[in-house]
Amino acid sequence: MESMDIWGQLLQGFATAGTPVNLLWAFVGCALGTAVGVLPGIGPATAVAMLLPITTQVEATASMIFFAGIYYGAMYGGSTTSILLNTPGETATMVTAMEGNRMAKSGRAGAALATSAIGSFVAGSIATVLVTLFAPVVAEFAVKLGPPEYFMLMLLAFTTVSAVLGQSTVRGLTALFVGLAAGLVGMDQITGQVRYTGGVPELMDGVEIVLVAVGLFAVAEAMHAVLFEGKTVESENRMSRVTMTVNDWKRSIPAWLRGTFIGAPFGCIPAGGTEIPTFLSYAAEKKLAKGENQAEFGTKGAIEGVAGPEAANNATVTTALIPLLTLGIPTSNTTAILLGAFQNYGIQPGPQLFSTSATLVWALIASLYIGNVMLLVLNLPMVGLWVKLLKVPKPQLYAGILIFATVGVYGMRQSAFDLFLLYGVGLLGLVMRRFNFPTAPVLVGMILGPLAEAQLRNAVSIGEGSAMIFLQRPMSLTILIVIMLIMVLPRLLRKR
Amino acid sequence: MRPHAPAQHSPYLQALVGVGVLLLALGLGFGAWFIPSNAGYAGVGPNFLPWLVSIALGVCGLFLIRKARRGGFLHMEEHDGEHPYWAGFAWMSAGMLLNAALITRIGFVFSCALCFLLAARGLRNAQATASAGVKSWLMDIVVALLIAAPVYWMFTKFLGINLPGLTESGWL
Repeated sequence: MESMDIWGQLLQGFATAGTPVNLLWAFVGCALGTAVGVLPGIGPATAVAMLLPITTQVEATASMIFFAGIYYGAMYGGSTTSILLNTPGETATMVTAMEGNRMAKSGRAGAALATSAIGSFVAGSIATVLVTLFAPVVAEFAVKLGPPEYFMLMLLAFTTVSAVLGQSTVRGLTALFVGLAAGLVGMDQITGQVRYTGGVPELMDGVEIVLVAVGLFAVAEAMHAVLFEGKTVESENRMSRVTMTVNDWKRSIPAWLRGTFIGAPFGCIPAGGTEIPTFLSYAAEKKLAKGENQAEFGTKGAIEGVAGPEAANNATVTTALIPLLTLGIPTSNTTAILLGAFQNYGIQPGPQLFSTSATLVWALIASLYIGNVMLLVLNLPMVGLWVKLLKVPKPQLYAGILIFATVGVYGMRQSAFDLFLLYGVGLLGLVMRRFNFPTAPVLVGMILGPLAEAQLRNAVSIGEGSAMIFLQRPMSLTILIVIMLIMVLPRLLRKR
Repeated sequence: MRPHAPAQHSPYLQALVGVGVLLLALGLGFGAWFIPSNAGYAGVGPNFLPWLVSIALGVCGLFLIRKARRGGFLHMEEHDGEHPYWAGFAWMSAGMLLNAALITRIGFVFSCALCFLLAARGLRNAQATASAGVKSWLMDIVVALLIAAPVYWMFTKFLGINLPGLTESGWL
């Protein structure tokens, strides 16, 4: 695609995203995203899932702008919580939280919040430029891919999401196959064969993605809270003025840029997850820091240790839209649900999206620029407002989440049966949470499973019934080798 | 109450999870038996993925059991040693199941308010800081209605989403 063309399309996108109604959707999305990011027990995936019923009423462009706002708004809000709240047990697991939380403890909460919000803005904006420039190119390339290549790409996504990213390969794979099994329920897309409905008419159309997402996250979270977190005592760090000194800026700017360039590539490849890039950025900052600054790591809290990982996080999350929009491959919980939202409109993200739904895609991309500016305003001067959300008492918070869960699940299909199923999925999520099974493979498997199955069948048809087709085409063979490598290499490295 | 040692990861429970996965795999395999294989030109019929999933899950289940028996799962998040509080869980479960059973009869607002009330009770008891008595119940009822009713109006009136009401008025 010509560069002038991209520019023209983007301007067109701004024209669509800039209408008062769409601006309002973006703003409400960003505000809601920040809120769910701040609130413990509810994340962007849950929030978007609960609101999926609006896809039956609201026009596609508006609701995708809205969902995207929630998606990256939650990234801004999430850091506020990890900096200010001392949740025992949880802070140590998140790299981003470590330094920010330490800074807050030594009275520098304001600077930590500022570097995190501005860093998110810088990284989000740069990554959006990358999306603008590269998504059309990838789409143009992806048009040439056939079913064998697509199937291999999906296999790659399954592998990375389940076997590579998590702590345990077996638990990751178990989660993936549970998701694939959930995706099997209902009528088969190609032959119309009914599978695993057990004669229950409600299951003919399959299991709703809303139900599984809300059950695994929101309901399981509430159940976990009532069972195990009753006596957990949280404390809140004191706020200080949200500003940065000249020295803070000097230390933050390079860290933001490094974080962005570490994070951005990770979103582009169908490997998902923000854990690896944020950790890499943290390690890089710790290594590069000198003298007194380095001594602050792990003690008083070093500002680079907040700035870098926060930027890496936002860059990854933003560029993850490239595989989602151009290949239709989700690599995280939230992008899986965004894919579900597209499907509700009968739109299948993929290379054709840029030609068939150009208005929608470019409005969505333009809204990312607009949303990042909105979020900077929402999170810098108004951070005090969001901090108040941390004071919502837990019983009311989780009980309230259950009400919203009901709206999402019942609103989708108007079936009380789904609410019983929701309870069952909640129990499954509780067990998974207690025994450290990852949840992303379930959702990715459930959404991508039926698509992968269709691609597999088409591919084998092309090969006239032979699976050799996957080895005969250079591109699909290459991806297959990549899959093998990422399965084997980490093991070999660990052995040494 | 008898003092307990702090709760720890139990290999016994982990093995049980593995057995659960294995049972699921067997169930799926049993179901796959009845799915016809009419593959046609595709070579891959509608029963291919079901078989693949059940076999893979079976293998995962066996691995989980083996890991549990050999000293337990690795890389587990640390627990804070808290024993599960089943009474609170029962309150929450009652709230959710009653909600599912009653939503079409008493309408969204009251059904959800009831769910909120029971779940919040369980969570309050779990914290054991609840100022027991009528006051906290009343407070929860008020909060429940203050959330459920506006949510109902917002979703049905503004977003046009169909949620069940108690009356035909559309407000309750």
